[in-house]
Amino acid sequence: MLTRPSLGFGLGLRVDHYDAILADRPPVDWFEVLTENYLVPGGKPLDYLMRFRERYPLAMHGVSLSIGSTAPLDLDYLRQVKALAARVEPVWISDHLCWTGVAGRNAHDLLPLPYTEEALAHVVGRVRTVQDFLGRRILLENVSSYLAFRDSQLTEWDFLSEIAVRADCLILLDVNNIYVSAVNHEFKALEYLNAIPLGRVQQIHLAGHENRGDYLIDTHDHPVPDPVWELYAAAVRRFGAVSTMIERDDHIPPLAELCAELTHARALSARTLSEEAARRSARPQHAAVTGP
Amino acid sequence: MTPLGLVQGDFQEYLLRGNTAIEGQVVGTARVPVATRLGIYGDAYRARLAEALQANFPALAKLLDTEDFGALAAHYVAAHDSSFFSIRYYGHELPQFLSTHPDYTDAPVLAELARWEWAMTGTFDAADASPLVHTDLSLLSPQEWAQLRFTWHPSMARLGLAWNVPQLWQALNEDAERPVASVNREPVQWLLWRQDLTTYFRSLPKAEARTLDAARDAWPFGELCDLLCDEVGEAQAPATAATLLRGWIDAGLIIGAA
Repeated sequence: MLTRPSLGFGLGLRVDHYDAILADRPPVDWFEVLTENYLVPGGKPLDYLMRFRERYPLAMHGVSLSIGSTAPLDLDYLRQVKALAARVEPVWISDHLCWTGVAGRNAHDLLPLPYTEEALAHVVGRVRTVQDFLGRRILLENVSSYLAFRDSQLTEWDFLSEIAVRADCLILLDVNNIYVSAVNHEFKALEYLNAIPLGRVQQIHLAGHENRGDYLIDTHDHPVPDPVWELYAAAVRRFGAVSTMIERDDHIPPLAELCAELTHARALSARTLSEEAARRSARPQHAAVTGP
Repeated sequence: MTPLGLVQGDFQEYLLRGNTAIEGQVVGTARVPVATRLGIYGDAYRARLAEALQANFPALAKLLDTEDFGALAAHYVAAHDSSFFSIRYYGHELPQFLSTHPDYTDAPVLAELARWEWAMTGTFDAADASPLVHTDLSLLSPQEWAQLRFTWHPSMARLGLAWNVPQLWQALNEDAERPVASVNREPVQWLLWRQDLTTYFRSLPKAEARTLDAARDAWPFGELCDLLCDEVGEAQAPATAATLLRGWIDAGLIIGAA
């Protein structure tokens, strides 16, 4: 098993909640912080970060690695990430399976890749370089996407799985992103989920999205909707207890509201795990161990 | 260029310039055609950078109404790609853009407000440093004083402003009644800095501004005193130098002396 035991249920750390978290010590097991928000020389952001670090396990989640870009890796950025990690000692470091720009430009978006053998080999090589540089495995997250490329030869799930295995990295599985992309590209979300290798999913993201009629947009500004909860239950059945967190980036509600959503995730996961355990124990018992 | 490189180059050209060469490489469906799919990314790109400008210049966004700020952001985004890994740094050329773009040169207060906000943000998250305390200087001999040069807190910023921008900014920031934008008789010198985690600003009398700027240019203390003789007269210079130095140390501006 490459993944670490579940840390339980976390939230994305947002400025709106800083003071409430420090004052109330809410029942959140861990927080995910947006790496780039703390890649600043000093002042309040880093001061707050270290205060949270004293109280909770923190995971660092970046948006600028641009692991799929054909532009050279940004070593200055990586050096800063490594220095921040040395200070924060995060439980893990994650970013996205995407690219954000070429030719010295940053589109500040998580842009999709064509799922080709060429892109696969390219990303695998870069993940290895990054992991060597940081001295640890990273987690790559599946992004929501709104278009597919004519050149793609693989499914997204095969692309992600192959990268994880060949580069020996871990997966941050965003269940909402699977659902959004499944609707936008008309594939079956469960097929995606069931193709992801066991033992590589270290973290799960839950979030909401916006329905634009013909397609969904991954806005992170709504509560987690029912179909995403259903898919999350399926993920728990497949992967077991995995560190899970809720992301909210816009229309950020009071902390108590997100904690209530997290309680729902906790209960759903516990119920699913216990149903799964009961289902397994009800199976006809065969000799579990064969020996000489 | 590799096939992957070509796809990425074309996609980025679409986002940044609206060039549609990428369309042939994208698959659409009956429900959602290629142009719609690309449009989602194009719209998101422009919206995200406009949001970054709004986040980095909140008082300016408030001063202009939504429509005018939207137009400014659209102009700026069209003319300025981001080369930063963090969106925190997007918008550094907005003051210059406002002071040179024909749509905005009639309202120079806008460029000054943008300069002010950018400086405030720089002060807010500048590097931390431990300030010097009075006792650090108490054992120096008069000869050492004459050659003493200071190093300064990284959060310090100096601005000379023709308009009453800090007052305007403060009112916008606190949702208080705004003063009428007005031009000072001559530019007012401002100092911004951070002490512990709090950002401060104050206007500087002319003599202090000149002395502080010279001190930040690493003039030794002896030469600062000579400068003050020219500014306030020989009789007043020693007392003024002592007062300024005490004030700078109390405010946590000085982090080293050697």
